[in-house]
Amino acid sequence: MNLNILIAGVGGQGNLFASSILAEYFINQGHEVLAVETIGAAQRGGSVVSHLRISDDEIYSPLIPAGKVDIILGFETLEMLRNFQMLAADGRYLLNDYQEPTVLCNMEMDTYPTDESIAAALKKSGKKGYLIKATECAREIGDSLLTNVVMVGALCQLSPLLNRQEVKQVLAGKSPVKVREPNLKAFDAGGALVKSAMGQP
Amino acid sequence: MAKKEYLMGNEAMGRGAVEKGVKVVAGYPGTPASEVLEYAAKYADVRVEWCINEKVALEIALGASLCHTRAMAVMKHNGTNVALDFLMHLNYTGVRGGLVLISGDDPGGNSSQNEEDSRIITHLDAHLPVFDPWCPQEAKDMVRAAFELSEKTELCFIVRPVMRVCHARSQVSLEEITGNGKEPFFTDDRSRFIMSAVKEPEAGGVLRPVIRHRWLNKKQPELLQIMEDSPFNHVEKGEGNIGLVACGIGYAYVREAEKILGKKFPVLKLGTLPLPGDKVAGFAHRMNKLVVYEDSEPIVEGMLKELFYDRDIKVEIVGRSGFLPMEGELSTGIVLKSLAALYPELEKSVPRTAPLEIKIPVRTRTQCVGCAYRGLLHALKLMARKTHGVVTGDIGCYDAGSFLPLELQSTIYCMGSSIPMATGVAYSGTKQPVFSIIGDSTFFHNGVLGLINAIHNAVDMVAIVCDNRTTAMTGFQPHPGSDTDITGRPAVAIDIAKLATAAGATSARTVNPYNIAEVAGALEKAAKEKGVSVIIASSPCYLLGRRNGDIGFTPRKVSLNPDLCNGCKICIEYFGCPAIHFSNKKATIDQAACVECGMCVAVCQRGAIT
Ligand code: SF4
Ligand code: SF4
Repeated sequence: MNLNILIAGVGGQGNLFASSILAEYFINQGHEVLAVETIGAAQRGGSVVSHLRISDDEIYSPLIPAGKVDIILGFETLEMLRNFQMLAADGRYLLNDYQEPTVLCNMEMDTYPTDESIAAALKKSGKKGYLIKATECAREIGDSLLTNVVMVGALCQLSPLLNRQEVKQVLAGKSPVKVREPNLKAFDAGGALVKSAMGQP
Repeated sequence: MAKKEYLMGNEAMGRGAVEKGVKVVAGYPGTPASEVLEYAAKYADVRVEWCINEKVALEIALGASLCHTRAMAVMKHNGTNVALDFLMHLNYTGVRGGLVLISGDDPGGNSSQNEEDSRIITHLDAHLPVFDPWCPQEAKDMVRAAFELSEKTELCFIVRPVMRVCHARSQVSLEEITGNGKEPFFTDDRSRFIMSAVKEPEAGGVLRPVIRHRWLNKKQPELLQIMEDSPFNHVEKGEGNIGLVACGIGYAYVREAEKILGKKFPVLKLGTLPLPGDKVAGFAHRMNKLVVYEDSEPIVEGMLKELFYDRDIKVEIVGRSGFLPMEGELSTGIVLKSLAALYPELEKSVPRTAPLEIKIPVRTRTQCVGCAYRGLLHALKLMARKTHGVVTGDIGCYDAGSFLPLELQSTIYCMGSSIPMATGVAYSGTKQPVFSIIGDSTFFHNGVLGLINAIHNAVDMVAIVCDNRTTAMTGFQPHPGSDTDITGRPAVAIDIAKLATAAGATSARTVNPYNIAEVAGALEKAAKEKGVSVIIASSPCYLLGRRNGDIGFTPRKVSLNPDLCNGCKICIEYFGCPAIHFSNKKATIDQAACVECGMCVAVCQRGAIT
């Protein structure tokens, strides 16, 4: 098996927690895992990209080579678009419908792409994927900080390479007691979002 | 089977040191290397310390080593520059207990002011052995080997991981914790440890620096033999007669490229300096061209050219002197591109990428929503505008005030430069008033000397210290102004205001940066004074405080009345809270992003924000 997952978001969205759940799951399954976070200068709302590589053979580069990403998880719209060209020809995306404007966009010195232009560009790319409202869903559960877990739950629904129940166990084990319940709820909600996006009951 | 743990490269190096019985680990925070120290701090019998700066850290480590205790110093490449003075002496004296220096490099400057390659100062300048790991496991193995070899050769060993190795996470095997079995004890050896221009009677009056330099040079053949036998260098057979020399992280990208292309090339994997000359020559003899993949300067490339010249080996050598990009970090993509240039038939196997047909705005860094520094930067911006003042800056979260929208600081170089540069501006003869702005950790690191110098010389300037009681930029490490150390032990917090006063500053005012009027008032007064006026803007880092329940403001809901907003943009261009948006000639507050610090109320001059 070879699987390359790229998580693109902004500081504070919890890329690392998402990546570490997936890493632990795949390690438990007996695979090799190599991961890396690319952060600019840490936590102040900058871009954060997590590379997660899973294989049965030795993995060499911690960064996924361009054109080799199988699944891109977009925690934030712009950051997914920025990394979109990393996708393999048959790569897929899962995008959280959440936009964090840049400082320059706030100032009207730059423009955040419109929903229409994003949809058109994604369509033109020919890549398959789903747009889900993960942050909105996380807020409904109680905290937008649960977005990462919603996205992991969604990924487990999208990819047959992940066993939902076992990932959920890892999540439960890695969650501090305080947030275990909301985390598990968020995980299930993520799965449901993808199900309905796929038009499944 | 050995026990394995999923560790970050930095943690793996910390673990390697602990396994080898390190007893003292000293460093200064800096991306990419900070977590090495944080990992070691989990072991109660290791003295782990965030020091005031890297030079002090290395000095502490050698002090322990001279008592036969294993010690390690940890820093990023910029910090190794700071420690260089000391390094250029300890290379002559040598060490006793194993001494390892970890110097984390940041090719590409992802999180640094430059992308220098610290192999140059540590190896070409200090003539010390350097290990350059390609993955977390090797990084750990190298730290382990470095301790043993350091004791054997009496030399400090350098481990130079690049950011991608520091930050990579993988399964790393754990080994037992051992030590060197030595009781700590200091014994004199003044002919070594007194580094001075004294004549040695036994050596017929030759000066000691020459004798110690001779000692260091005599070590080199021993090091060469060690590298010849080292498991960190090896040859892999492959097709063709273009040899790929894969150094450090370069090995990861070369092997990755081979996997993608489904081809095996002849590879010389290198992880050490000095180079294993015989191994290299043996590899080169069968090749007519070598491509050297290294991050980031063409150091091995240059050393190979020298070696082949001396050994009369004729082979073309290319690499980062121009065949490969001369700036930025290596990647699998760069390796693939270079191989396709050498073997055009491979072009079709290189993965294709097509960017989306859409313009993607850049995301510049700024302070967190709710950061106290925003109020300070705002007040300083207004002051600088009014007085046409020059603001010199320094390294830390507040440095983002130099980017759009604020564009406040006019200079940022390295740790501590702000105050001396302001001094120079004042000396230039310009009539513009000068302000410098520096963070607390940076102030202690290397800023305090510049301040004392300026006070002593009665320079007319305002020196602002942003005091948030932590090293926020690199992940909240304590510093000499903090009241606890890395392990939570109580520490003596150095009071910056008292320090400035004791040094003779004209004034030292402590202000609350959330209170813009208070900051503005202090700036106003300070700018009128003669000599150095110090302003300490003191409030806990919001991001850290939110975690610890210690924030510097009482939350209050704010709202913006669109009828009162005239679209002047002062809240954007002179303040720039990311929770304030601007569209259709009006500002709005994004309530979901707002953390209710209330600072913006004082920013709006028309009373639109309440
Ligand atoms: S980490 Fe702390 S000091 Fe840095 S920008 Fe955020 S709140 Fe400000
Ligand atoms: S109160 Fe004003 S300055 Fe503070 S976070 Fe909210 S919008 Fe930003």
